[in-house]
Amino acid sequence: MIQTTTLLTITLMALVTYLTRVLGYVVLRDRTLSARTTAVLDAAPGCVLIAVIAPAFVSDRPADLIALAVTLAAATRLPLLATVVVGVTAAGLLRQLLG
Amino acid sequence: MAGLDVSITADAEAGRGSELLRGMTAALPVMIGFVPFALVLGAQAARKGLSPVEVPVMTGLNFGGGSEFAAVELWTSPPHALLIAAMTFLVNSRHLLMGAALVPHLRDLPKRQAFPALFFMCDESWAMGLADAKRSAAGFSLPYYLGVSAGLYLTWISFTALGALLGPTIGDVTVYGFDMAFPAVFLVLLRGMWKGARAAAPWLVSLVAAAAVHLLVPGGAWHVAAGALSGLAWSFLQAGRRG
Repeated sequence: MIQTTTLLTITLMALVTYLTRVLGYVVLRDRTLSARTTAVLDAAPGCVLIAVIAPAFVSDRPADLIALAVTLAAATRLPLLATVVVGVTAAGLLRQLLG
Repeated sequence: MAGLDVSITADAEAGRGSELLRGMTAALPVMIGFVPFALVLGAQAARKGLSPVEVPVMTGLNFGGGSEFAAVELWTSPPHALLIAAMTFLVNSRHLLMGAALVPHLRDLPKRQAFPALFFMCDESWAMGLADAKRSAAGFSLPYYLGVSAGLYLTWISFTALGALLGPTIGDVTVYGFDMAFPAVFLVLLRGMWKGARAAAPWLVSLVAAAAVHLLVPGGAWHVAAGALSGLAWSFLQAGRRG
């Protein structure tokens, strides 16, 4: 049930992905980090997360933008699961209503 | 003394077990968020000719949702291995930064534990592990991170396989709003990392840069690299000014 070219492609993908996962760690592991580097690395998690979801902030569908605003408001005060439920419900309802 | 050693080891074992469980429990909402995407990815892959065996092999060895969607999008019969590998690198290049950000937290961990642990690093497991490290006095908890990872990994593999089996019966999940689960998860994780407006300034830079690049170069993953690097450049300048 597995074709050779498929397996080759999947293996290549897996190697590339694992390389991206370990490379940053391997390069920095044995170095002493300056205060400045530490500050930059501290900012990295937030920068990556917000960059991944940035397209949602410039959607051309009003329903999606309103749903995102609702989700953002929920995220500032609710726990994770509640925020996910509010976000998914808001997006589903608003898309039905506004298209 | 031998008895004492045994009881300390047993305590440590129990501690690890409860940390693992704590991670899995914390990951539950994200696991639920994974389900619709995993089903859709599996179904799309099946439509492109991947078998219900090949799909979990791909998602199990690669475990990177964004790159898998890109690969399936580009999939032909036979697939262009090098094109797909290059796209995989582009989509996952943010891992370079994420791995680097983990270095201060993994200082005490031997390489033989760090390398397998890094295999499971995805946006969510990484962010949850770091957010937990910032909250707790004990710092980064490897068993907590592995608990989160196990929950996410098993969900992803099993539901992509199920998606491949169900195939075309699965429609477009964005109609129902399930795609909002990811911004929701990410925003809550960001709240957990919030340390005041000044510390968040690089995030705003990232957001604006990533949004602009997304509008100018739609599709692909350029907005992630451009956004993250702009924010880091800002933070580098900010840290320099401070002294």
